[in-house]
Amino acid sequence: MKPSEKHKPMNRRAFLRAGVQVSIALGIGGMGVLAVRRSGTEKLVWQLDPAKCTQCGRCATHCVKNPSAVKSVHVYAMCGYCNLCGGYFRPETKTLNTGAENQLCPTKAIKRTFIEDPFYEYTIDENLCIGCGKCVKGCGAFGNGSLQLQVRQNLCDNCNQCSIARNCPSEAWSRIPANTPYLLKGYGKEPS
Amino acid sequence: MKTKLTILIALILLLAALAYITADFFFSGQDTSSNPFDYKLEDLRRSDSLETAYREIHHFTPGLDQISGITTDHGDRIIVSGQGGVEVYTPEGILISKLPAEGFVRCIAIAPGGKMYLGIENYIVIMDPAGKIVGRWNPVSEKSILTSIAVHRGNIFVADAGEKTVYRFDSTGRLINRIGEKDTLSGIPGFVVPSPWFDLGIGRDDELWVVNPGRHSLEAYTPDGKLISSWGKSSMHNDGFCGCCNPSNFAVLPDGSFVTSEKGIERIKVIRPSGELDCMVAVPSQFEPGTKGLDLAVDSHERVLVLDPWKKQVRIFVRE
Repeated sequence: MKPSEKHKPMNRRAFLRAGVQVSIALGIGGMGVLAVRRSGTEKLVWQLDPAKCTQCGRCATHCVKNPSAVKSVHVYAMCGYCNLCGGYFRPETKTLNTGAENQLCPTKAIKRTFIEDPFYEYTIDENLCIGCGKCVKGCGAFGNGSLQLQVRQNLCDNCNQCSIARNCPSEAWSRIPANTPYLLKGYGKEPS
Repeated sequence: MKTKLTILIALILLLAALAYITADFFFSGQDTSSNPFDYKLEDLRRSDSLETAYREIHHFTPGLDQISGITTDHGDRIIVSGQGGVEVYTPEGILISKLPAEGFVRCIAIAPGGKMYLGIENYIVIMDPAGKIVGRWNPVSEKSILTSIAVHRGNIFVADAGEKTVYRFDSTGRLINRIGEKDTLSGIPGFVVPSPWFDLGIGRDDELWVVNPGRHSLEAYTPDGKLISSWGKSSMHNDGFCGCCNPSNFAVLPDGSFVTSEKGIERIKVIRPSGELDCMVAVPSQFEPGTKGLDLAVDSHERVLVLDPWKKQVRIFVRE
């Protein structure tokens, strides 16, 4: 190399070319790093904590899905299989039978099945459940809280900004890892 | 000029749109505080509150960290059990003595001679009147949760919510027989105990009364386990027992009537020996919502003593 070439100043065209090349290289590198980081991040889903839930009814009215993606789920391991179920019967019920006038659920989404005297099993029909939480409140007040509200992940759109979470008065909503998508309380933790 | 006017109109429209979006976002008319599906438990507690025939005349706060059991002795002294032991009070609620015991004394009974039987988790400790531990009976089962004890004519009856049965021991701690286990041939339905409130007591005619909480009933047995009678009704109203499992506790008045307490709808009432509602002792508004484990005792003056674990008080009611 000649001494005069060594200190030759870069002209504008060369400078721009070099700048574009560096920018492209940095951009591609940055995207690569971002892709690698994203692939290592856990997927998150929305869920509500039954321990904080106050059954305000907003899960039924504020979800973008209609009916809501929030459903009442039953932790069978906790259930007392009661005859007088506080989550199934209206308080003024005179006779403990499946008459529509006796049921607390506004959509008759809970099925009552005789097991053996004096035990009955209660199952939720999720096609009918609107996630209002009336049964959850009754079960918590008069039973042992085996009925709990949860987002059904197969129904949830997993919106970036959950409409229910934004309006929840008890801050029961949070994003949790998708590989453990339920937050049931009590023992058993087996949704229906 | 025309361009300026266009820009001005566009700006006004833009500002109007921004104002609308802001107002809609922050001050939308949607009432988010009302709940169209509300289950008004408060109304339920209020609507079923009748006039009470009893009046609370006094209350006092025991010194135990957590209180669970109450009984009276033949001198009408009040004995309270809980975390760390037993405390003995005068009928007026003045502390006489503190008798320490290890663990959570869930239930207690006093024998005629003053000997005390303490139910601690799944075993029984026996104390003399001075508080000296004179015996310990080992658990019948590891699953046991001892919730109530009664002493009568040399028999010690113990309710076990874990095993859903009643044990009859002699004074040496020997298990004589079990009472109330399901036996369809004898017409015994079996105890349904969904939660650890399972009480027993002695009736006017020396019969053993045991709560069957899951069936909302009380059942009477002979000491050898024959079912004599039962009564009870499931109802949210005052004429029955509410929730999954009630009554949680009871005591027997000298005329054979029952004083019962419930959880879910916190209320205390007197039921005649025939099973009909006599009157209310206390209504839900007199308790903290969610109160559970209102243990009961009566003294020779027919005062009703209520152990209120939520308020951490012994509350004394008299009939007016």
